[in-house]
Amino acid sequence: MAIVELESVKKVYTLGKAEVHAVRGVTFSIEKGDFASIVGPSGSGKSTILNMIGCIDQPTEGIVRINGTVTGGLKDKELTKLRHETLGFIFQSFNLIPVLNVYENIEFPLLLGKNRRSRKETREWIEFLIEAVGLADHMHHKSNELSGGQRQRVAIARALVTKPEIVLADEPTANLDSKTGQSIIELMKKMNSELNTTFIFSTHDRSIMEIADHVIQLLDGLIVEDSKTKAEAGSIS
Amino acid sequence: MFLTMKVAFRNISRQKKRSFLLAGAIAFGMMVITLMNALTGGAVINIRDNFSHALGGHVFITGREWTEAGQMIMKIRPDANLDRLLEENARQIEAFTRRSQAMPSLIFGSQQTMHLLYGVDFSEEDRLIDSLVVVEGSLAELGKRDDIIVLPEPVAERLGVEVGETVLIRLETLTGQQNVGEARVAAFIKDQEELGLSAAYTSRANLNSLLGMEPHEYQILNMFVTDLDLVDQFARTFREGLLSPEEAEEAEDEPEVTVTVAGMPIDPGTRTQEVTPWEGTRYQVMNINQIMEAVELVVGVLNRVGLVIFLILLVVTMVGITNTFRMIMIERTKEIGTMRAFGMQQKQVKRIFLWEAVLLGLLGCLGGLVIAGVIALAVGSVSLNTDPSLQFFLNNGRITFSLPLQDVAVNVALVILTSLLAAYWPARAAAKMSPMKALSSHT
Ligand SMILES: Nc1ncnc2c1ncn2[C@@H]1O[C@H](COP(=O)(O)OP(=O)(O)OP(=O)(O)O)[C@@H](O)[C@H]1O
Ligand SMILES: [Mg+2]
Repeated sequence: MAIVELESVKKVYTLGKAEVHAVRGVTFSIEKGDFASIVGPSGSGKSTILNMIGCIDQPTEGIVRINGTVTGGLKDKELTKLRHETLGFIFQSFNLIPVLNVYENIEFPLLLGKNRRSRKETREWIEFLIEAVGLADHMHHKSNELSGGQRQRVAIARALVTKPEIVLADEPTANLDSKTGQSIIELMKKMNSELNTTFIFSTHDRSIMEIADHVIQLLDGLIVEDSKTKAEAGSIS
Repeated sequence: MFLTMKVAFRNISRQKKRSFLLAGAIAFGMMVITLMNALTGGAVINIRDNFSHALGGHVFITGREWTEAGQMIMKIRPDANLDRLLEENARQIEAFTRRSQAMPSLIFGSQQTMHLLYGVDFSEEDRLIDSLVVVEGSLAELGKRDDIIVLPEPVAERLGVEVGETVLIRLETLTGQQNVGEARVAAFIKDQEELGLSAAYTSRANLNSLLGMEPHEYQILNMFVTDLDLVDQFARTFREGLLSPEEAEEAEDEPEVTVTVAGMPIDPGTRTQEVTPWEGTRYQVMNINQIMEAVELVVGVLNRVGLVIFLILLVVTMVGITNTFRMIMIERTKEIGTMRAFGMQQKQVKRIFLWEAVLLGLLGCLGGLVIAGVIALAVGSVSLNTDPSLQFFLNNGRITFSLPLQDVAVNVALVILTSLLAAYWPARAAAKMSPMKALSSHT
């Protein structure tokens, strides 16, 4: 089942009189459980596509379908709800909330909606995630007391806390050295296989791209290659 | 709501210096208005106390009647109806006194001076006797003999008289005849609160005989009530009990009776008017609040000036808050974008800002109130020996502060409201910010 579908999606930004064609008609779909990577040089439209999948931007033309819902025409409130319910985010510059500690940062998305779990269950789940990203010793640290790699681990746990269908990561390793970046991608891969969460991340680092089982290559707002290596997924493509 | 409040609270403590400055500005305004209100509030109470002290009561009843010769004189005769009222309301009366009064010339040798003289029944004047500070002589003889007089120290000095010597009292009787009597000086008393308000005192029997009244007659019935808050109601009871409805109505149009403080009439409206004579005694009931009306008018104006200053300070603070919050909004762009990405709704973003404003406002209020309290305590502990005319506003030479809780509540509400108003536009702008723009910003 395709959890993300883009059909002839175009995105045009207008800067004064100039028009920037950031995405010029792309069609692809990502299956549930994919560990997908969008690669391409700077300015090729990676962020633009991730933003549209992430419901923080909408296409100028074409259709974006997230978990069966067409995002075009939705009101801000509905988009926000959709984000909260189906999406998790990992950012290039981590974006932890500085006034909250590690535990609170991870807990944060849960507090935005109705929490169906009991207090105890919630606590156990957050602690499980902290354990899983290897930060059990830093639970009560503030983000400025953590290294970049540690911050990104917190961000991964935060992205997963609501058990979203899809986690989006725009260049999650760009602000990290290559070794740390590698370990972050490996952690994402681990969570992907353990929780069966769909991950879509962008990168221009070829070595990181190789871990993905679904690679979409972009150039100037167009797809140049869409390849899957996930043999055991049994998809029909 | 809990989440937004928590984030707001953390945000406040994040930029301590900035929060401190904003809350400090609010605190300053709050302090000014609180002190101003409390100062005037305290002054009103002191003025009222000093007045009632000087006048010897809270409620004053006078009676007037017409003589056969067609003269109106001030006097109250023994009256069963009045006695009944006093008895029925005894629980609300702390003390009452029945006095006569005159403005005689006191003469000793070649010196003479006009001074207010009360004729009092010393047996019902415990309160007065307690309040008199004897400089020379003694009060032991009061109540035992009638022909004695107690003089304020300055009066004695002016006359050059010594304790034990006799002064002449020259006055007009109620019907206007010249009369002279004498009294032995029993004691000098300290001028009450340095107001120059202290009267001289003699026995009522003595003064009555000089005025041409019977010993058990008097001119003013002064009452101290137990609960000053109920004084209007209390006075109304007496007014209704003593005046027939027609009289009460007529009394409205009549010139007010003159209540005197140190011989100076305190008269809200001196209107001379032709009055038709009546039968028997007609009473007039005044209470301290009627005298205080003028004072309260001035206080009201002062408080309004204070409010205007407060509002100006608030507006200035408001501009500061708006600017700061706009800056904060830009600073936190990315953070807001992140929160929005994870599903925070616009109204929740707005709420964070508004909570911050409320918290700042509350902090400011608290700070202002505490500072005002400290200042009030400090100032209130100093005894001022200033100009006697100032003493009227003071309580035993000390400035006192009094501020009803509801006034504080109103001021706090005003602060919170302006803070909210100031934060509203930045909060709205923050909420309306597109999460994408917020996330791609490079701050
Ligand atoms: N908000 C915007 N307004 C105008 N133009 C934009 C905007 N966002 C992106 N663009 C333009 O759209 C094109 C694609 O940008 P995008 O950020 O998607 O590229 P990218 O592949 O993510 O690049 P990078 O690797 O540098 O992050 C670029 O030419 C960029 O200048
Ligand atoms: Mg990008």
